[in-house]
Amino acid sequence: MNAENVKSQMRKGILEYCILLLLKKESAYTSDIIQKLQEAKLIVVEGTLYPLLTRLKNSELLGYQWIESTQGPPRKYYKLTEKGEKFLGELETSWQELNNTINHIRNN
Amino acid sequence: MKKTLTVNLGGTVFHIDEDAYQLLDKYLSNLRIHFSKEDGGDEIMGDFELRISEILSERVRLGNEVITITHVETVIERMGKVEDLFEYNETSYQQTTEQTTTQEKEKVSKRLFRNPDDRILGGICSGFAAYVGWDPTPVRLLLFILMFFYGIMIPIYFILWLIVPMAQTATEKLQMRGESVTVESIGKTVTDNFERVAGNQKLGDGFMQVLGVLLKVFAVLIGIIFFPAILLVLFVLFIVMISLFAGGLGGVGLGFLYNIMPSTNWDILLSYPEWMLVLGSVCTILLIGIPVLVVLYATCSLIFKFKPLPKGVNWAIFIIWMLALGANIFFAVRYGIPFWGEWNKWGLNSIHLPAW
Repeated sequence: MNAENVKSQMRKGILEYCILLLLKKESAYTSDIIQKLQEAKLIVVEGTLYPLLTRLKNSELLGYQWIESTQGPPRKYYKLTEKGEKFLGELETSWQELNNTINHIRNN
Repeated sequence: MKKTLTVNLGGTVFHIDEDAYQLLDKYLSNLRIHFSKEDGGDEIMGDFELRISEILSERVRLGNEVITITHVETVIERMGKVEDLFEYNETSYQQTTEQTTTQEKEKVSKRLFRNPDDRILGGICSGFAAYVGWDPTPVRLLLFILMFFYGIMIPIYFILWLIVPMAQTATEKLQMRGESVTVESIGKTVTDNFERVAGNQKLGDGFMQVLGVLLKVFAVLIGIIFFPAILLVLFVLFIVMISLFAGGLGGVGLGFLYNIMPSTNWDILLSYPEWMLVLGSVCTILLIGIPVLVVLYATCSLIFKFKPLPKGVNWAIFIIWMLALGANIFFAVRYGIPFWGEWNKWGLNSIHLPAW
């Protein structure tokens, strides 16, 4: 059991939640999402994100459209679907509960 | 000095060093194998290629005309090594966790596959050789010799051809040899254009595959169950046709048939119209002859590298075969039933071949 492992597990656990949160505020290009997640140190390599986005899209939580770009080929522009918003709502509740649990344990 | 290649990556053209190309190609192939197992695998690969293309375009804009191996290494570093991505998927997803545990079980188990890379007919021998860890040549030789002493080996081979699956993915090829399925070993197994990703096949190919399976089933049925009977039927039909062309069934033709199988009441043949006998014979010969010829041709084309028959010809042959099949079923129902009682007497011991 080492701390790094557990820490990375925790980060991975909240990754979907964070992606949905990011897209709730505004729609974004894949590269924007990657950049924000990297800044937050949630992901290290970009490759982890593509399968995740595709899975979220296949579960109809995200949708995307191709937007022309000034430099190079068109890029995917992701946004949250209605189903995604409901899903995010559930995750929010769950996150609150977790938070409360942790605080409760910590303070007693 | 280095040789460069021109590649189309995500819709952009790049000049890329040969070694850099090989590294990138291997990387993408590994990813493709991994993602082809899940829904939207093609899309994920598309995303990867687009992103890599974006990063490399950046390099080109900065003045690098040619993509070198260092650039590719940086890209892989940035996108994540295949091992890292694998590990991520294993721990993060329940459904993928289940998949990986079954994969881990499969790591130790060896499975019998037909080997598509080294085969003469179906790849049974070389698959079996891989399974037991021998060289394929002695296995083939052994089978060949056994076929002479034990004729049963021939139908057994065909049955195995039917039921043993062909190793198509890199994972299956590794399982065939009992090597553990790891990223590195898959990388070694993968060569250019090797992984056939599902969904790329055209409808016609699918149809030809179905036709191939039908023909195989037919060949096996002939081989095992019906071969003696069919040989007999063909022989009788042949005699009937010859006698008809020679001027009537009576006399010599029937006499000959009575000579071979005296216990059968051949006079029944006389009660059928002549056109039916001829048409029936032709259809039966087509019904049996076409698959035999197709199998022969396929075998020859494997050995001598003929061109496969054009698709139109394949379709035509198939339609003729279906027509012959339909006609035969019709004749069998319409005229064959009175013959039913005679069939029981058609044991092989009732045949007395004249001494020619």
